[in-house]
Amino acid sequence: MTKTFDYAWKEISKRKKKYMLNVILIALVVVMLITLNSLGTAYKEASRLPFEKMQSSIIIQKNGNVPENTTGAVTSCSLAPIRNNLIDEIETIEGIKDISYGLSLWVFDNDNFKRVLGVNWDDSLGTKLKAGIVEGEIPQSDDEVLIEKTYAEQYNLKIEQKLEISEQEFRVSGIVKGYGKDIIASDFFMNLESAQGIAFDSKNLQETEEFNQDDINIIFVDTEQTKINAVAGKLKNLLNQESLNGGKTPTGKTIGSYNIYTPESFENQISSLFVLSDKLILFISIITIIGSVLIIMKSMSHAIIQRKKEFGIMKSIGFTKKDIQKEIGMETILQVFAGYILGIIVSFITILLLARTKISISIPWELNPYPHFLASNPNLVDTVQTYLLPIQFQPAYAILSFVVVIIIGILTAIITTNQINKLKAMEVLKNE
Amino acid sequence: MNELITIKNLSKTFNKVEAVKDVSFKIKKGEFLGIQGHSGSGKSTLLGLLAGLEKANSGKITYNGSDLTNMNEDELALFRRENVGVVFQSFNLIPTLNIIENIALPLFPLNISKNEMIERARKIAKDVGLSHRLTHYANELSGGEQQRVAIARALINNPKVLFADEPTGNLDSKTGKKIIELLKELNREKELTVVMVTHDNEIAKNSDRIIEMKDGGVIR
Ligand SMILES: Nc1ncnc2c1ncn2[C@@H]1O[C@H](COP(=O)(O)OP(=O)(O)OP(=O)(O)O)[C@@H](O)[C@H]1O
Ligand SMILES: [Mg+2]
Repeated sequence: MTKTFDYAWKEISKRKKKYMLNVILIALVVVMLITLNSLGTAYKEASRLPFEKMQSSIIIQKNGNVPENTTGAVTSCSLAPIRNNLIDEIETIEGIKDISYGLSLWVFDNDNFKRVLGVNWDDSLGTKLKAGIVEGEIPQSDDEVLIEKTYAEQYNLKIEQKLEISEQEFRVSGIVKGYGKDIIASDFFMNLESAQGIAFDSKNLQETEEFNQDDINIIFVDTEQTKINAVAGKLKNLLNQESLNGGKTPTGKTIGSYNIYTPESFENQISSLFVLSDKLILFISIITIIGSVLIIMKSMSHAIIQRKKEFGIMKSIGFTKKDIQKEIGMETILQVFAGYILGIIVSFITILLLARTKISISIPWELNPYPHFLASNPNLVDTVQTYLLPIQFQPAYAILSFVVVIIIGILTAIITTNQINKLKAMEVLKNE
Repeated sequence: MNELITIKNLSKTFNKVEAVKDVSFKIKKGEFLGIQGHSGSGKSTLLGLLAGLEKANSGKITYNGSDLTNMNEDELALFRRENVGVVFQSFNLIPTLNIIENIALPLFPLNISKNEMIERARKIAKDVGLSHRLTHYANELSGGEQQRVAIARALINNPKVLFADEPTGNLDSKTGKKIIELLKELNREKELTVVMVTHDNEIAKNSDRIIEMKDGGVIR
């Protein structure tokens, strides 16, 4: 075996140029397989990033009527109130791990504009917010409120300080860190009941949509990774039963309909230099592999046929078919390994570089509610989130590409061995 | 002297060309046999048949009692490995292997250590007068030296018979003579049976016995 290796090694190292193409082509197959598949996985990952911060898989909202004017408290982005008993219905759907909900309000006070979110502090949304508290504590009563840090700094608000929201007095119980551009970004966080009280008492809101004391306007549903689409499908059936022919919201959505956001609905919101769809990835992969395999086989068998005289010599001095098979096999393995290692190195570097590229995901306005008509700074209404491409070198794809190149190697070795074994030693030696 | 190879009614046809026609003769152990004849008379074909590189259409070759004509390709390969050395007009060395490796090539498939292999190759190299330049490559050697490498390679398995097809054909007459001297020496000292094809009368004179071919048949 070591003698076979020695000979194969010598052959390849003495004729490096001749075998370089094979090695590069094998490396190309490896690089293509690994990077394309990793990109595909990365986009799936990326579409989940906006949800990850909220620790949920599906977000539900309902589109409502636009208020006549901007006074007092209204639901953000003209979202319609959702009746609380809908939660009970949703809960019956199989595959749901967790449900949390809140009420997102815009309050147009005389002094300034405020974004308010009412939450239950003991559900997953509340727990998530609690984790971000940098000072103080969660509201202990209905007249306490948490303030977002940048907002607190901007208006110089401190703990214990009193302030007015929609003509009600609140005391600052704590400061929570930056949710500036996140889904359902807000300036104030209070008990759900407090927010519901503000909404219920708002004349403007009640004139736009009928608001019950315990209504909400956003629901976060967490499911198992694999059940997201199944649950989303059932939610669509449950929620959008009636056909609607009402008006449209400013973003073109039908009033009365529900928005059901899943990571998948974000997939085509991703923009970057390297947007590739699954089908395109599959297509490119197949084309590259088939193309490379054909060229590799051609080039490998050409390299061996060129040496048919040498194989004739080997036969004449007593190499059996099996001996020659071993020799060709070893040479093929060496090329495949060299190509594979080169391919892994190049893929690794490529993925490192790709991991430094930025992708942006545009978040629907309703999920990042800010009244753009009030913005003095246009960045505040920016609903595009920027992330680093979450691409990783995946050992699974390294294994996959290994299997593929090994198969290529085996096929090539079989084909070329057959070609060589068909040659008769005598004829090969005669044709000088 | 007793017989090593018996050839009986041997024939080989390519398409319609009868390259070897109903040939019968015997080769004795330890003899130096010359095969002569004009170009196209069937010398190389006959040698190929005897060395097991070519399969006969009919007739029989018995080598030390075993029948060559019944063997399949792999059996013939093993037969060549164990019993036969072949040398051609062109030296047929492997360009990517150095001299010592070329000499040792027939041992590559065998189950022996690399050291033993190199040792044996070194010894044979000495026997053929090639003790220097063993790590050089074929293209760095003269024609005579290359043919010595080919002879050493043919001998490394201790064959009982060496088949040589115009071994001096690519060499100048002086170098050619030296190669013939080497073959004669091996024939004498190692009791190696040598079957050599040549169309050069001078060279043929070195043989113990000469067979002459014409149109595929043995005429003398
Ligand atoms: N593979 C083959 N296919 C067809 N015809 C062949 C083949 N090999 C040999 N022949 C024919 O058989 C005949 C004998 O050829 P061979 O090579 O044995 O002659 P030779 O005596 O060795 O000639 P030379 O002295 O030129 O080497 C020739 O007519 C040749 O054309
Ligand atoms: Mg000839």
